[in-house]
Amino acid sequence: MSITADQQRGIIPSPIKAPGKRGAGRFAGIPGKTSPANRDNVTAYLMIAPMVVLLGIFVMWPLVYAFYLSGFEISFYSEPEFVGLQFYKYVLEDPKFWSSLGVGLAYAAMVVPTGMFISLMIASVIKTLSARMAAFLKTTIYVPAVVSTVVASVLFVFIYQDQGLANWMLGALNAGPVAWLNDPATALPAIAVPGIWLGLGITTLIMLAGLLDIPESYYESAQLDGASFVQRTWYITIPLLKNVLLYLFVTGTVAALQMLDLPLIMTNGGPVNATTTPNLFIFNTFRDGSEYSTSFSLTAALLLFLVLGGISVLVFRLISSEKAIDG
Amino acid sequence: MFSKRSRRVIGAAAAVAATFGLAACGASGGGETTADGRVEVTFWQQKFEDYQQEWFKKNVDAFNASQDEVTVKLQVVPADTWEQKLQAAQAAGKQPDISTLSYGRIKPGVAEGKFAPLDEYLPTEAFSDIKENVSPFVTVDGKHYAYPMLVEPSTVLYYRSDLAEAAGLDPNSPPESWDELIEWSRALTQGDVKGMTVASTAADLGWASWGLQYNACGHLPISDDWSEARATEPCFAELAEFYKTLYQEGLMPQTPKVGYADGMPYGEGEVAMMQGGSWVVGQLKNDFPDVVDTTMVAPFPSIDGDPTKTTASLGGWTLGLDSKSKNPEAAAKFIEYLLAGDPEIMADFFTETGYSKYTVRTSVDEALANDPEASADPFMAVISEKIVPYGQAEPAYPWDVALAMGTAIESSMKGSADIETSLKTADDAINDIIEKQKLSGTATN
Repeated sequence: MSITADQQRGIIPSPIKAPGKRGAGRFAGIPGKTSPANRDNVTAYLMIAPMVVLLGIFVMWPLVYAFYLSGFEISFYSEPEFVGLQFYKYVLEDPKFWSSLGVGLAYAAMVVPTGMFISLMIASVIKTLSARMAAFLKTTIYVPAVVSTVVASVLFVFIYQDQGLANWMLGALNAGPVAWLNDPATALPAIAVPGIWLGLGITTLIMLAGLLDIPESYYESAQLDGASFVQRTWYITIPLLKNVLLYLFVTGTVAALQMLDLPLIMTNGGPVNATTTPNLFIFNTFRDGSEYSTSFSLTAALLLFLVLGGISVLVFRLISSEKAIDG
Repeated sequence: MFSKRSRRVIGAAAAVAATFGLAACGASGGGETTADGRVEVTFWQQKFEDYQQEWFKKNVDAFNASQDEVTVKLQVVPADTWEQKLQAAQAAGKQPDISTLSYGRIKPGVAEGKFAPLDEYLPTEAFSDIKENVSPFVTVDGKHYAYPMLVEPSTVLYYRSDLAEAAGLDPNSPPESWDELIEWSRALTQGDVKGMTVASTAADLGWASWGLQYNACGHLPISDDWSEARATEPCFAELAEFYKTLYQEGLMPQTPKVGYADGMPYGEGEVAMMQGGSWVVGQLKNDFPDVVDTTMVAPFPSIDGDPTKTTASLGGWTLGLDSKSKNPEAAAKFIEYLLAGDPEIMADFFTETGYSKYTVRTSVDEALANDPEASADPFMAVISEKIVPYGQAEPAYPWDVALAMGTAIESSMKGSADIETSLKTADDAINDIIEKQKLSGTATN
């Protein structure tokens, strides 16, 4: 991925000219003539129309309808009963909802920075290699990205068994065994490992693309001034990768907060809800079977939507992207 | 048992695929008529042991061939995906006409208007044939909302006589109290073989510990009229302590590969003793015949050694008729054919199960009485004489209540919180459920 300076600064050359005075001046009062600006507008609206219609049908309307439905105690067998904001109160009062948010944040805190750090290291190494070697390593590092989460989950469940690979390795060091997935203290980190592994390929490639965008002359100049690898990374690489890092951090955090399949397959949210991520909490309440749980899980999902949106806004605020500099 | 069978990892993987890929597909709301004028009804069968799928298919085919008015379309749904698939189908108005139902689901379902009474479709004799102790499981206000198929106690002690002898224990006098069971577990835990296995996740403990909750306290952690929680009573702390000892002393597998309902760890020799449902007898006979000869069963030990105290809840399965079925009469015809008609059909089923499940109809008992193999089965004798008579019906309260107690036991076992705090959390959770789901005074036990 390459983010250009223009894109960063928000001065993307736009084919859509602003309608206004110019068109009004030249073609004003000439009936039957359409200004080029208006023609451009029509073309533009036509081009975005399919996406807007699809978004409207599959995203906006369901969202509005979901908010509407959350005011009811839904029943598939009798008339829904209007209860106003009752379920919002119930969800916000539920300690399991808050604990699941805590689990989601803890999972994101484990997966995102670690994944980004490892990816940056690997990308830095790949950058220094010969083209052939780099191609080989890029392919290798990308392999986990094409492995299905389900397959990875099953694989890691076997690794974490009482007599699995992880305990065998501990045994070789005269330690363990550890009930990785069945101890509330180790279950979440144990799930974070495949989480990091699965995300490594894409993160590394994006980092590498960002690294390759940084002019080599900066490094040469710094080297001439006697800057070490750490100094070059700290003063050149990281500031110039800021937008890439920001992108990876925001998307990584939102994806981690929405993690569902790893804990669902590996632990089913246990032990004692230690790996019940927000989405798994919602899913588990939905499949609880009672009609109460249908309205409850719907409301919890809407609240999670607000929380995720809030977190994304917060991250953008904290790391102001407009001030980024690029070569 | 809701969502409890076959909790293998692969099964969970299939669950994900099915949930996200197939949730709303393949269902049919019934009410259709085929080209040859037959009424089509849909039947969802929860996936059980393999031999059960074959039995259901065989009998659906036989029913379809036996008459020319109704065609039953059978669909097998894995337990792990059952609830979400059903809810998705209900939301879309595509729910099945007939579905397998556990006893515990009937009364909450009736309260929500999900099931139609069968009384107007089946002859009276069909209901008088149901055993007296089972009839209340399916009855609400004098009407039958499902037809029972079988009863199976959820807790039986399985143990390996050869391993007991090797450890210097007498297999003919199995443990009778929880203390004795822990001593046996310590003696039988050797190397990679653990002495015991019990349920260890909240979702399993929620239902698999019902029998032992009755055993410890004589009641479940909610008052009889469902108006307040009783989870903080000291007897529940003793129950949690029992589970905690087994787990924290490493007397059971620390990372079980499968859920409670699956007897695989015992069948494969990873454990010497197992707490399991009576259905595991069928699984051992079918999948692990090598260990059957050295397997003995006994009532699960009691808190104080009293063998007349409840140790098992009596779970089981029924067929229910959806209240929105467009062809209730045709659907009921199939239920009558399969469960309430010729006793030989159900007798054949119990033979297939290896006598690991128990009949609910007097006429089926009579049909089986002529089967010498049935009366000679050693497992059946112990289970039906020493466990079933003291069993209690599954509670009819919402699953959330059971899950809160299961979570408390798991939390005590795995040290997330001490026993007192865990039970207090469950107590608060149950009181919260009572308030928000308006349970007070609605008890139908």
